[in-house]
Amino acid sequence: MELDWGVVARAWDLLIDGTWVTLQLFAWSLLLGTVLGLVLALMRLSKHRVLRWVSLGYVWLFRGIPVLVALFFAFFVFGRQVGLSALQAGVLGLGTSAAAYKAEIIRAGIMSVDPGQFEAAECLAMTRRHYMRRIIIPQGIRVMVPTYMSNTILVLKVSSVAVAIGIVELTGITRQLSNSTNRPIELFTAAALIYLFLTTVLVVLQEFLERRFALKT
Amino acid sequence: MDWDVVLESFPLIWKGAGKTVGLFAWSLAVGTVLALAVALMKISSAKPLIWFATFFSWLFRGIPLLILLFYAFFALPEVGWLLSPFWAAVLGLSLWTAAYQAEVIRSGIIAVDHGQTEASDALAMTRGHSMRRIIIPQSIRIMVPPFTSNATTLLKQTSLATLVTVPEMTLLTQRIFSNNFKFIEPIFVLAMIYLAMTTVLIIGQQIAERTFRLRT
Repeated sequence: MELDWGVVARAWDLLIDGTWVTLQLFAWSLLLGTVLGLVLALMRLSKHRVLRWVSLGYVWLFRGIPVLVALFFAFFVFGRQVGLSALQAGVLGLGTSAAAYKAEIIRAGIMSVDPGQFEAAECLAMTRRHYMRRIIIPQGIRVMVPTYMSNTILVLKVSSVAVAIGIVELTGITRQLSNSTNRPIELFTAAALIYLFLTTVLVVLQEFLERRFALKT
Repeated sequence: MDWDVVLESFPLIWKGAGKTVGLFAWSLAVGTVLALAVALMKISSAKPLIWFATFFSWLFRGIPLLILLFYAFFALPEVGWLLSPFWAAVLGLSLWTAAYQAEVIRSGIIAVDHGQTEASDALAMTRGHSMRRIIIPQSIRIMVPPFTSNATTLLKQTSLATLVTVPEMTLLTQRIFSNNFKFIEPIFVLAMIYLAMTTVLIIGQQIAERTFRLRT
């Protein structure tokens, strides 16, 4: 059969619209996942047993179910009661799921900081909040960067699952265009190349951040 | 939440468990064989093999799984490859998991002490022989945790097969949405079944780690 790449050129504006929705979904769910992940990580390291249990339960639950199930819950159950738009429900589902992974990454980063740093900060009579913010977390970031960034790339790719709750992001628009033009090879190849471009940008950003946070010797 | 609806939903969703497990088992088997081949290419000394393996990992780790599934389902028939939804999903899932497992296998192999390779060379073992009898058995110990955690991800990702119409558990759940307009109960049942399945895999991981542990 003949391939007609002109279809990609004709559909280009729509593909870019879809890419824009994908980037919005990605950016908001990354933000929600990171903030919630930080809170969960600090809860897990807290002295209070109840906070530790809640955090542990959250991580076990969201790592044990597919992200699609979290999206269904955010959209069909929570979103309907509260009246969220599909995009908001998508951010909620993707973000709460990402938070479970971010929490583990942030916790591992914090725990990798030399215990001597905690002891020294306590000797200087710093409060826990103060030394976490000024001493421990800045040092933990160095360790977190590679795992945080590879998980972030995953968040971008997983955002494609939002097509299942009717969000017309890059994957959704590509499926619609493919059905209406009957040109799946050309269109899905174009979508794949756009995703490859975006993930490659994130990989380059990861390398930049690793260099930026590397110890200067 | 209405517990009667939970009890009604369970058998309807459970009917898809066989398909879910089938997708998982086939993709894990095919994906692992592919991953081993890609990992061996990556550590080989032939440049074209290294390039091919690097390209494979970059490609299948850079594209969302869902795009791979849509490609297998919508695009392959255009070139005369008409796969059933089940096998299209297995194809997409296998290529996707292979790209991740190849990294696990490769780092497991290169983590084995180099002295072991030198010792097998000194004993005049061929490369294939030393890989099979000396290096890979030792690297399995290192691979178990990341390998099973990827496998757990694979199990959860089989849920995406619903979008290429495989009647697995997630698709049957969506069928309840549209037939009964019930949401929270079927979602609860589905989440519980996935949690039970992933928990079984995590327990399996702990057993495997103990089995392969060094005896001292």
